[in-house]
Amino acid sequence: MGESEKHSSDKDDYVPLKEQEEWRDVTPIPQEEEPNTVCPIAYTDEYSDMMSYLRAVMAKREVSQRALDLTGRVIEVNPGHYTVWMYRKQLVEELGTDSENELDWVAEISEIHHKNYQLWHYREALISRLLDQKTAEALTQDQLVRHPVIRRELLFATNAIDGDSKNFHAWSYRQWIVRTYGIWDQELVFVDTMINEDVRNNSAWNQRYFVLMGNGSGRPEKNPDSPLEDSLVDREIAYAVEKIKLAPNNESPWSYITGLLLRHAPARLYNTLLPKLQALAAEGSGYASSITTTPMYWSALVDIYEHQAKDLPDQASVLLDMAKDACDLLAFDHDPMRGKYWEFRKSQLCAGTTG
Amino acid sequence: MSAQGLSVDIHARYFKHCLTMLPAQTAGLDATRMTLAHLCLAGLAALGRLDETVSKQEKKEMVEWIYAQQIPARRGNEAYRGFRGGSLFGPHEACENVAANSGNVAATYSALCALLMLGDDLARVDREAIVRALGCLQQESGSFIPHPGTTERDPRFIFCACAISYILDDWRGVDRLAASRYIGGCINFDGGMTQAPLHESHGGHLYCCVASLSLMGTLHKVVAVGDRSRMLRWAMLHQNGGYQGRTNKDPDVCYSFWIGASVEMLGGHALVNCDEVAAFIQSCEAPYGGVSKNPDTRPDPLHSALGIAGYGFCRPDELPRMAPELLLPESIVQSLRAARTTSAV
Repeated sequence: MGESEKHSSDKDDYVPLKEQEEWRDVTPIPQEEEPNTVCPIAYTDEYSDMMSYLRAVMAKREVSQRALDLTGRVIEVNPGHYTVWMYRKQLVEELGTDSENELDWVAEISEIHHKNYQLWHYREALISRLLDQKTAEALTQDQLVRHPVIRRELLFATNAIDGDSKNFHAWSYRQWIVRTYGIWDQELVFVDTMINEDVRNNSAWNQRYFVLMGNGSGRPEKNPDSPLEDSLVDREIAYAVEKIKLAPNNESPWSYITGLLLRHAPARLYNTLLPKLQALAAEGSGYASSITTTPMYWSALVDIYEHQAKDLPDQASVLLDMAKDACDLLAFDHDPMRGKYWEFRKSQLCAGTTG
Repeated sequence: MSAQGLSVDIHARYFKHCLTMLPAQTAGLDATRMTLAHLCLAGLAALGRLDETVSKQEKKEMVEWIYAQQIPARRGNEAYRGFRGGSLFGPHEACENVAANSGNVAATYSALCALLMLGDDLARVDREAIVRALGCLQQESGSFIPHPGTTERDPRFIFCACAISYILDDWRGVDRLAASRYIGGCINFDGGMTQAPLHESHGGHLYCCVASLSLMGTLHKVVAVGDRSRMLRWAMLHQNGGYQGRTNKDPDVCYSFWIGASVEMLGGHALVNCDEVAAFIQSCEAPYGGVSKNPDTRPDPLHSALGIAGYGFCRPDELPRMAPELLLPESIVQSLRAARTTSAV
């Protein structure tokens, strides 16, 4: 929807397959005559023709170069055809098609169809065959990152991200490569680069969390609730606060650090993060005034005070009052569009019902 | 922006037009015509215009087309049963290769919904075959693939499997505990829900996860009180005028349904700034009918149907109510609920 479509041949030059010598031996299978159709598409003659021949070769599972070429032409126009990808995969395997060429072809398709799901999974399948995990296990992270297959894939994903910095598929694909081949270290570097390029890129921030939870140095992946080393927590708090200073109204670092601490080091919310935020607010220079006008700051305070109240019951009533005040400020001054939500949040604090 | 609400007439005409004919450039949607049918009918239902736009005869013909996409039994095609996304795969008799003519859980879900909206009693649905096929498509992780042979596996297809099971009132094809467990792993550090553990929180997957749990009856088991709070918080933070699908992305009308419906299911309706959401959806109405993703693009059936359904959550007195857990009128879902005989997990 809204994607540009490159037609594989100019309409004037198009010769129907039924008039081509090469296809003489094939009986095309037309789409059924449907007097009772729903959402019918006004197919071009070219599309109808291609599809009739595709149906014919798929029906008898023909393995040939002409079938492979035909799948390419269909996918170019209709990458959502969900069985043709599997058929193409079989053809590539049985014909022994050169993987480089095939990966190039997938790259071409991805230029036209940025949001198509199937092509990424198709690529994943190709790569899994090219470099299996057993072979990869014998290599170091350094060697893996330099391995032509992996280097190429990282570049492919990076190019997609260059085109659309938040391309959901590209970031997911990177997670698959990193996890499958264990190349966690380079991913942290990549994440840092992307955050420096655009501090508001939430996909990059999420990827940062992914790397932290990941399989660094051969350890098993962390559980959602597992604690993090103190030094790591220190580093991440400092990192997030640095980025908050760049654009205080940017949701990503706020969500990142409060979410991370809530899960893995909740006491650090009030022991370490809170003093840093308060210091920023007190500082009286440019970003300090913007930090106290951003809803993110007050929203973070609500979460921090709430948690602190749980851990320090003798101070709970004072802390909860501060949290409720923050909710009022949000509801009436800093984030009135979400007024009803902040009143609800306040009521949760009164009742102690956030669990 | 109209003070009188949505331009119901022109949108009804838009959906009728899409049901009748789509242009050549939409060939890329050829494998998802079943979904398009579902969206157009749901859009009409959400406008309260289904019966007056689609005649009895037209409904009958649509029902025939839908049933014509049901995959018949063939040796070795157990996992491929259900409904296919369109007739592009060819006449059933012509497909000796079972893998070439495949059902798809998204198409099966849409087919069942479309049939219900067209007044069909599902008598010709091969329930046994569908339930068996679902059993073949669930993965060890608890997630689902949409059809055999692919590695795509995520909450979209868990949702379709749950929706199908709920509609057929037959859960033998879904290991609900495993699916629920998988979804539990998709709760993200920022309170949102993801396509797979550690992926980015996304409004579409929020819907698929929350709706799946609702349909399975495991919402409160999997989403603890604290998680529910954080999830509502995520949803509310992602309302900036309209709803954004992800942090720091622009609002997109389809999330009026994906996130809007999730909020309904999580019991957060009272928290929503309905005026803002409604205003955004109205700003996306195309002058000639349909609703687009944002004010700067052209309409399509998906954004039209979901925008209108989402609008309905915000303006319950203006339009008939759509169910949040299935893209169907609430009235139909109530009948399904009343007729249920299967027990909770």
